[in-house]
Amino acid sequence: MVSRVLRPNRAVDARTSGVLILGWCAAALAVWALSPVSTLPAPREVVGALTDLWWQGGLGPELYTTLKLIAAALACSVVLSLALAWGSVIPAVKPITAGVSKLRFLGLTGLLFPFTLATGGGFALKVALLTFGMTTFLVTSLARIVAEIPRSQIDYVRSLGASEPRVIWETVVRGTLDRTIDAVRQNVAMGWSMITMVEGIARSDGGVGALLLNQNKHFRLAEVYAVLVVILLVGLVIDYGMGALASLVCPHARFESSDKSERSSS
Amino acid sequence: MIPGASVGEVVLRVSDVSLRRGGTRVLERVSFAVVDRIREGAVTGQVVSLLGPSGIGKTSLLRVLAGLEQPERGEVIGAAGAKLDARTVGLVFQHYPLLAHRTIEDNLVVAGRIGGLDEPRAKRRARELMERVGIDERARYYPAQLSGGQRQRAAVAQQLVLPRRVLLLDEPFSGLDPAALSDVTALVTEVANEHELNTVVIVTHDVRAALRVSDTIVLLGRSANDSGMGASVRATFDLVDLGLAWEHGAKAPHAVAELEHEIELRFREPSARRPLL
Repeated sequence: MVSRVLRPNRAVDARTSGVLILGWCAAALAVWALSPVSTLPAPREVVGALTDLWWQGGLGPELYTTLKLIAAALACSVVLSLALAWGSVIPAVKPITAGVSKLRFLGLTGLLFPFTLATGGGFALKVALLTFGMTTFLVTSLARIVAEIPRSQIDYVRSLGASEPRVIWETVVRGTLDRTIDAVRQNVAMGWSMITMVEGIARSDGGVGALLLNQNKHFRLAEVYAVLVVILLVGLVIDYGMGALASLVCPHARFESSDKSERSSS
Repeated sequence: MIPGASVGEVVLRVSDVSLRRGGTRVLERVSFAVVDRIREGAVTGQVVSLLGPSGIGKTSLLRVLAGLEQPERGEVIGAAGAKLDARTVGLVFQHYPLLAHRTIEDNLVVAGRIGGLDEPRAKRRARELMERVGIDERARYYPAQLSGGQRQRAAVAQQLVLPRRVLLLDEPFSGLDPAALSDVTALVTEVANEHELNTVVIVTHDVRAALRVSDTIVLLGRSANDSGMGASVRATFDLVDLGLAWEHGAKAPHAVAELEHEIELRFREPSARRPLL
């Protein structure tokens, strides 16, 4: 078994894979527990802080606030990005899509003032900032997916006698849905990692980002790590949920990926 | 001429078709006609192979025939003497694309729905065709789950959901093992012989497979003296006239091998202008 998991480019079964994951997690926990760095709180302290934050520190409501924020920003971001990416099949819209994509090089800091004026601050400001941050990247990914549709696929659907809207539906919308969900999934992870920064801008509304920054300000390291663990775990749950959604909506995708890997190995 | 065979009206005429893409001439005054093959006591459609070296413009010609590309000049005329209606033309692309997000049955049903059939009729037709081409047991499978041969049969079936008088096949023999090749030639013959006016046009560079299945071979080429010119018809071989069409080719293997050799020579000598026959 040892030689099997150490040899490069070898496939391992699910059981071996599970053993490997558990092994690495145990190793990471051991390193953490035995770490000589005194500023790093021990796992037991973090668990204690997590329990306190949950029952007395209002972690539950803060998490709800954050989830509400990410859901609103994700909805806005997906709608805007899909409209721009799918619209890029129309030559007149293409420059707008390319322009929005290029805005990803702008930082959020300089945009704080105009966005505050436009939204009036608070929750709307945070949604606007997060939406902006996510949309510029999501548009880039989605526009590339649309641009990579082979010309032959479009001609093929036309050869069935399909109208142009039907061609777009079959090739652009339905034909790329699995890759679209995957791009959104990556973008949610990116948005989730921006949460602390965005919630730090308007702390009065709360959220786990604001909670984290407040704990950090008072140098409560056990609480800081407890919030970080929650951010990580919720992020993983969201990621798993999006993966499950992709499998449910696009069951063909798993056959395609195995088909591609078989073709590339043959 | 094969005994009992004769010719009827022209069912497909490609007349003076020229195509330019960007600054490049792709096709140059391509002209050929497909005539209705008549055999005593048998319904016989037409199978025409467009042969030529890779990159000569065969697929471009197929796209013009399918109405996917408009020629710079020239026209494609159908059986009734009118311009060929693209809706009566089916096109099976190389590598047999299908809608990857739909099951095989759905692929066929969608083709029917797009063509104006109602749901129950489209489903009936889909089941009928899947059974006919031998993929009915794969109805609930996705295209990525099928082998190359099965995918090809599904792609042909999809194009047959609606009544097609002309079926175009782009490189249908490439990458097939002998058994799958045999299946494809049988399927092509079956589709062609379903109706007297059915025409199957095959684009290929596989001379042997083309000779096995066709009644007419159109050889496309580009003359070395005409630099910058597009491809045009270099020769046409009427296998019925030569007594080598249908099952007669199998009875005269030497004559078929000689013709195959001659055609392959023409592949290597693009500048040859003399007609072979």
